[in-house]
Amino acid sequence: MPTIAVEQIKERLKGKIPKAADVVFKELHTKEKYLEVFYIKSISDEAVLHDKLYKPFFEQQHPDEFKNYLESIPQIKSYETEEKTINEILNGVAILFYQDSVLLFDSKVDRNNSVLDTTVETTIQGPQSGFSESLPTNLGLIRKRYPEAFLNVELTTVGKISKTEVMILHDTRYADPKTLNKIKDFLSNVNIQMFQTGEQLLDAIKKSNRALFPVMLVTERPDRVAVNLATGKVILLVAGSPFAVILPTVMKDFMASMADIYQTYWVGRFLLLLRYIGFIISVCLPGLYVATTSYNPEIYRVQLALSIAGSRNAVPYPSFIEVLLMLFMMEMLTEASIRLPKAIGPTATTVGGLILGQAATEAGLVSNIMIIIVSAVAISNFVVPINAFSFSVRIVKYFILASATFFGIVGVVIGFFIFIAYLVKLDSFGEPFLTLVQSKPHKE
Amino acid sequence: MNRYYLYLILLNMLINVIMFVPKILIEYRYNGAVMGTLIAIPIGFSLNVLFTKAITKFPEKGFPEIFARSRKRWIINLLFGIISFAAFTAGLISLLGFVDILRRFVNPEMSFMYLLSVFLAGILLITKLSTERVMYLLEIVLFLNTPLILFIIFKAFTSDYLVWDSILEVGTHLFTKPSLKAIAAASYIFAGYTNLIIFNRIIKGKIKGWNFIMVFFLGLFNLFTTFFIPIGFHGSDGAQEYLYPWISTSDSLRLVYSPIERVIFLFLIFYMGITLMSVSVHWHLSYELIKGTYKESKKKDWAVLAVFACISVACALFFHTLLLNKITVHWMLSRFGLEIIVVGLFYIWARRQKT
Repeated sequence: MPTIAVEQIKERLKGKIPKAADVVFKELHTKEKYLEVFYIKSISDEAVLHDKLYKPFFEQQHPDEFKNYLESIPQIKSYETEEKTINEILNGVAILFYQDSVLLFDSKVDRNNSVLDTTVETTIQGPQSGFSESLPTNLGLIRKRYPEAFLNVELTTVGKISKTEVMILHDTRYADPKTLNKIKDFLSNVNIQMFQTGEQLLDAIKKSNRALFPVMLVTERPDRVAVNLATGKVILLVAGSPFAVILPTVMKDFMASMADIYQTYWVGRFLLLLRYIGFIISVCLPGLYVATTSYNPEIYRVQLALSIAGSRNAVPYPSFIEVLLMLFMMEMLTEASIRLPKAIGPTATTVGGLILGQAATEAGLVSNIMIIIVSAVAISNFVVPINAFSFSVRIVKYFILASATFFGIVGVVIGFFIFIAYLVKLDSFGEPFLTLVQSKPHKE
Repeated sequence: MNRYYLYLILLNMLINVIMFVPKILIEYRYNGAVMGTLIAIPIGFSLNVLFTKAITKFPEKGFPEIFARSRKRWIINLLFGIISFAAFTAGLISLLGFVDILRRFVNPEMSFMYLLSVFLAGILLITKLSTERVMYLLEIVLFLNTPLILFIIFKAFTSDYLVWDSILEVGTHLFTKPSLKAIAAASYIFAGYTNLIIFNRIIKGKIKGWNFIMVFFLGLFNLFTTFFIPIGFHGSDGAQEYLYPWISTSDSLRLVYSPIERVIFLFLIFYMGITLMSVSVHWHLSYELIKGTYKESKKKDWAVLAVFACISVACALFFHTLLLNKITVHWMLSRFGLEIIVVGLFYIWARRQKT
């Protein structure tokens, strides 16, 4: 490259990047040679620059020798276009002007690369560590758990402003190429300004940007990612987020906990059954209560019907208001205990759960049985292992409640089946979200 | 075993209770229903086999795809229209019948329209799903409900109040001249195969012989249960007093230790799902056939569904239980005739096709 061109590039780059406090432009001199370095200090690793650049620069006397050195170390890339170079500088790459060449020296600092403990999807046994917030570290974690030559990694960016790096991982043997293409199309069409974490994609999947149910799984566990890779799923890793996105995801995945593999067969099955029962209870129970107290108390045997009616004796309003009131309190309590600092979290639950529940009954505002139902609903809701899904389920119970309020027991049953039909209608990148036997019918 | 095929047949076998089949059979119990049932079994079964054999020559194709390239459009459109109408009315009768049952036994003070609307909402949603998804949903609904019905049947057979003498007494009328109405009603049990007109789209490969054996024995058991259990409970004379013999029969059962003591509620909860699915399957068939007569257009799709809803509301205003019962008898007869014609024509047509 002629010297004039180099000078022009230098001037233009300097002009494009405003003089901020952390922008560094340095000139290094020895007797024989002369080097200029241009980088942003806060996102570049100065230790690397020092070890790999400054030291050799002063140690090697001959200019050509240093040039050879520069060309041989792996951090160096050559200059391509101005636009790319500016992007690279903003990502922490240093630009070197040496003799008549412009070189890009990869000195990106890798912060947040400590591996975090799992906090959302905890298991009793099995691996306990999750992802870190650094992309290369996360990729390394997965590669370590999945040492296969068929693991393919592609890099794209998402987000108009943030230009976040996203890695697409899949096993070339198992992943369905059609699904992969759909996912790539989807990623290139995503319209997000600031892309920070994979969860943001959950809404982007719908044209209206409003989804109720997640159709991709966001996980913090490398072991889950490795297991899913082996079943042909596609994984998205987002820079700066300790969560990976697994696509396509069906309901079975949302109901599975990693603990299932780490338990004995029958224990795993039992836990799975428990989760489905919990799912149905948390969706149907409030509606069922309204239907059976206000519409059809005769469904239960006389003793039970009487004891429910007796417990509601002091309650001065219809059952659906009672249910709404208590569910509302319960949601408040759940939300509050998430937001509160860990130290006073238990206090809130005690105050809310014990005192409010007890007092509300004694004041005759709600029935005893209602308290039991609300706690059953709350507890069984948390049995669903994936958080995003259990939040969605939390909303659905109001739909069934409304339908029970208007139509009684018929409303509960039909409402439940409409809900199931909605789940069946959903699909995740071509895979049906809910089927009884989760396999494609052509295996018949 | 092709499970999707069996689901379709099973669905029809279950829904017959709502479709007045037991009522019709019991009405003719001294006048040829027993013989009629026995005759209906081979007829229904062979129609089933013929049609299934014929249509599985066109793997993964429904009627609209099979006749897509046919030249005489108007004949095809007419045929589709007739079948579609038959399927629609099948769904309509079970829908109206079941809403009537619900109003009688579960929510007596609720208005008919009110109950109908919640069903229509669900049914139209399901009807609009793709064929494959309807099947998935059907599978889930059957999975959730079949244990319940098996339990109820088990309870019925082991009940102390089931009097076998009454059943035997009706059995002695075996050699009376069979009644056509009874034959038509009883053959409805096997009519689930007609759903293959559309649902063949998701049936892969040949349907093997022992699927038919399954169908035969299921049908036999089902007919026996449908016809004789109410007679066993209510007596050979008493059984005809009831408008819905099976609902009343389930109300005669009691679960001593269960929090839900009266079986009727379990039975009705179970049938809510089954009716929802049965009507949806019938209407899906009807909807897809109508869709096959015009080029793709979203507006027309919605128009068809709107017409479905309007007709059901209009019929709900017009029909009452007795009228519905009477019409169903005639519907059964015409359905029986239509079925024979369609299956016969299609079988001959399919044989001439070299595929």
